[in-house]
Amino acid sequence: MRKLTVLFVVLCLLVPTLLFSAGGKEAKDDQITIAFCFQDLETEFWVAGHKAITETLRENGIKVIEKNANEDANRQLEQVKDVITQGVDGVIIIPQDGESAVTIAKACNEAGVPIGIFNRPPSDKSAKNLVVVADNEVIAEAAVEHMAQEAMKLGRKVYPAIMVGDLGDPNAVGRRQGFMNVMAKYPDLWAHAPVEIPTKWDANVALANLQSAMQANPKIDFLFTSSDFLFPVIKSVLAPLGKWQLVGHPNHVILGGLDGDVTAAQLLEEKYLDATGVQNLFYEADLMLEAMLAAIKNGEKTPDKWMDDPGFALTQANLDTRAEEMWGWVLYKEKK
Amino acid sequence: MDKTRVIKFTMKNSTAVLFVLIFIMFGLIAPRFFTVKNFQNIMSNASYIGIIAVGMTFVLLTGGIDLSVGSTMYLCAVVCGKLINEAKMPVLFAVIISLLVGVLIGSVNAFAITRLRLVPFITTLITQTIARGFGLFITRSIAVNYPDSVTLMSTSKVLGFIPLQIFIFLSVVAVAAIVLGKTRYGRQLYAVGNDLESAKKAGIRCDRLIASTYIISGLLAALGGFVTITQIGRVNAGFGSGDEFDAIAAAVLGGASLFGGIGTVFPGTVLGTVMIEMIQAGLVFANIDIYIQPIIMAGIIFLAVFIDSVRTTQIQKLERRNILKA
Repeated sequence: MRKLTVLFVVLCLLVPTLLFSAGGKEAKDDQITIAFCFQDLETEFWVAGHKAITETLRENGIKVIEKNANEDANRQLEQVKDVITQGVDGVIIIPQDGESAVTIAKACNEAGVPIGIFNRPPSDKSAKNLVVVADNEVIAEAAVEHMAQEAMKLGRKVYPAIMVGDLGDPNAVGRRQGFMNVMAKYPDLWAHAPVEIPTKWDANVALANLQSAMQANPKIDFLFTSSDFLFPVIKSVLAPLGKWQLVGHPNHVILGGLDGDVTAAQLLEEKYLDATGVQNLFYEADLMLEAMLAAIKNGEKTPDKWMDDPGFALTQANLDTRAEEMWGWVLYKEKK
Repeated sequence: MDKTRVIKFTMKNSTAVLFVLIFIMFGLIAPRFFTVKNFQNIMSNASYIGIIAVGMTFVLLTGGIDLSVGSTMYLCAVVCGKLINEAKMPVLFAVIISLLVGVLIGSVNAFAITRLRLVPFITTLITQTIARGFGLFITRSIAVNYPDSVTLMSTSKVLGFIPLQIFIFLSVVAVAAIVLGKTRYGRQLYAVGNDLESAKKAGIRCDRLIASTYIISGLLAALGGFVTITQIGRVNAGFGSGDEFDAIAAAVLGGASLFGGIGTVFPGTVLGTVMIEMIQAGLVFANIDIYIQPIIMAGIIFLAVFIDSVRTTQIQKLERRNILKA
């Protein structure tokens, strides 16, 4: 009976493995193989980033090996070591955090495999790598600047708050700094120091802490979220308080975000959102591919280049002219 | 009441005493913390972890552990969302099916642990990966949005004043407390957790009992998942990730032992859950530097667990003295 049970369990595991196996398609001799190792796809932004990179690579006739680390930095390192032994020509990673990016880049440097780090910068420059990142600080600053300009039109002091991401993520730190730059720029505009609301990039944590912040500071009327994926949470907190209102309404909370996702596009169109910082995903994917292919063709084992995506802020003021540049807007219109 | 009695009372109710002290401390720092609305928010936000922690308490009582609850939440929430959005199924049926998925995952855990004799830690770690894997496979990592009909539930009130999520939480607690405290099943669970071999010799069907706790845990994880999606309205790939540890922390903070046989749902797990949420809310109310918040949070939890660990020894000492005096 016990043997039968074990056999049944083994079959249960084996059948789906065989059913969903992609088979052993070998790359042609002259075909370039690039491993794309990403930390996870927990938000629309990362899903779109993943799509942009893999499609760009495949359109260029490159064989892509994909590895998902499921938010585990150690697993990602093992996966990169694994693809190196498979003899890939290059590795592109979306790292879990800045520290692990350095460790992984060093492993690639030792193996002589070019590595590109996408959208989450390494914590230091001790390893050699191609880096494409959005300038989070500048983009956040641009979005918050627009919010500040809107606040000035009210002719009174406003009560600012920021929903901060995971403090281990350089992107979150950069966005917070961009927000703080605007706070420092207009000291007379604020009724009090900004309320900082930790989210750890977790919707439940964000919900609980935003509710507490609104309870403790009911006058908050200027809110910046470090990621657009938290807008549904913001809506669920502000709506019962009568503060989920259109731009221009007396109870409207001046609202800004960063990413440029589908929800942000919808909220901009519906006029609930004042501004969102946009990372130009397609541009970033192209930059990375060009740099990686150049390195592979030139036989560079440890290329070292830092490439910035300046990004921009999509606001109610420039929505008509620049909306099509936002990746989330394109997806939103496709969905519609 | 003499001094020894006061000390003994304080020791026996250390978690509750600490709970009150923390509540007062944050209230003094930020007076708005004392409002009914704030306490309602805390309870509301604690509800989903509380529901999962109740299931976890059942498992911990038998000396087991369930690491799959976070992923179970995710998979069940995905299934529920897909059924509502794509199959256009009525919300009630979608919820029932998602709860059954939770029961199914719990049953897989139960089968592997009681029939295949696998270690609970490893078994539930495997089902954690499998459940999240299925969820990711179904969604392709794309977030599942819920319609307003679901998110509006979070604003609905039972009897006109109890928010739905708090009502569900309290109902789960009430049923669990009665089951553990007043039924033969509950007494047998404690017996199994205290001494498995003795329980077997006493004729208790231990395997069946242990299996039931994993099924309960799976069911409550699914329910907890639904409660939280009524509040946040969206399930993305990171949903529920790490929540198993919050549930374990809540149960242990409430006095449950990781070695089995000790723990209560009420007041234990409820206090543990609400305390964690209260500390987090208090830190935001006090506008503490966000870099310092995790340190203070961990410090208070450490203190609570430390007090809990020394209290048993101290109570025994006090009781020994009383016996000698008598």
